[in-house]
Amino acid sequence: MKVWRVAVLVGLGSVLGLVWNAASGRGLALARNVFLKDGDDVVVVADARARLERGALFLDARPAAFYQMSHVPGALPLPEDDFEPHFARIESRLRSALDVIVYCSGYGCEASHDVARKLKERGIPAAILHEGWPGWQEAGYPEKVGDAP
Amino acid sequence: MKLLAHPATHRVLGLVIGAVFLYASLDKIAHPPEFARIVYHYQVIGPSQSIPPLVPNTFAVVLPWIEAVAGLLLMAGVWRREAALLTAAMLVTFVLAVGSALYRGIDVQNCGCFTVGAEGRRAGWGLLLGDTLLLAGALALVAVPVRTSESGATAEALPAR
Repeated sequence: MKVWRVAVLVGLGSVLGLVWNAASGRGLALARNVFLKDGDDVVVVADARARLERGALFLDARPAAFYQMSHVPGALPLPEDDFEPHFARIESRLRSALDVIVYCSGYGCEASHDVARKLKERGIPAAILHEGWPGWQEAGYPEKVGDAP
Repeated sequence: MKLLAHPATHRVLGLVIGAVFLYASLDKIAHPPEFARIVYHYQVIGPSQSIPPLVPNTFAVVLPWIEAVAGLLLMAGVWRREAALLTAAMLVTFVLAVGSALYRGIDVQNCGCFTVGAEGRRAGWGLLLGDTLLLAGALALVAVPVRTSESGATAEALPAR
């Protein structure tokens, strides 16, 4: 067993991967979050809190059960996995809102991005809460439990 | 132990584990952004408030190629023990990542094992079992030297060539 050979294999794989990423045309921007696309509007949690106090409408893109456990006060449920019926129920409210912010379960969650893009396709601009629900909780901002917004 | 030390056992184990790793790498190599998404879903190496996207992105770009290199060498029987050690290290990483997701209640709908598409397998207990079996095979290749003669001498005991 020669440890330097293991290091060579790791090094070879790493170089091949980085070259392929740069030259294949299929690669990704290494420093950029892959959930984000051009045109996405992202808001950090402190700014989101300030916008809540100015009347922003929050949308919870997590599955409905998570909304019931706890959510941003005033937020409406718009789960990504059951989008259409929920959207139909709140469409008029969304169209009259001046500021809309969508959140989900944090950095590993893409539901808020998907919901924001679906809203944009329907002519409703919406920002994405960068840190998601965990960031909101960690900041110690208010929470609400149950079905009611 | 005699069976594990037999050259044919090493060849078969190398072929099977190598083929699994080579196959597992292909779709991830073809679709780096989609694999990076899956790495994010595990929420182990970021991105987060303290870990920039550079970390999981680089992991997603590099890991499939290390899988491919290790798989090819295992199949070819070149640097077999070193390649087996590398696959064992990767399997330990996978087991920890899946176990951690299960423990934290994170539903990773596609484990990113063989495909990055929606048809991928969920990260669950069955996956942990499969990875553990592969890990046992890889560790056997690392820990049990090949017996090279009827007298029972192993490759490790022979002078280096």
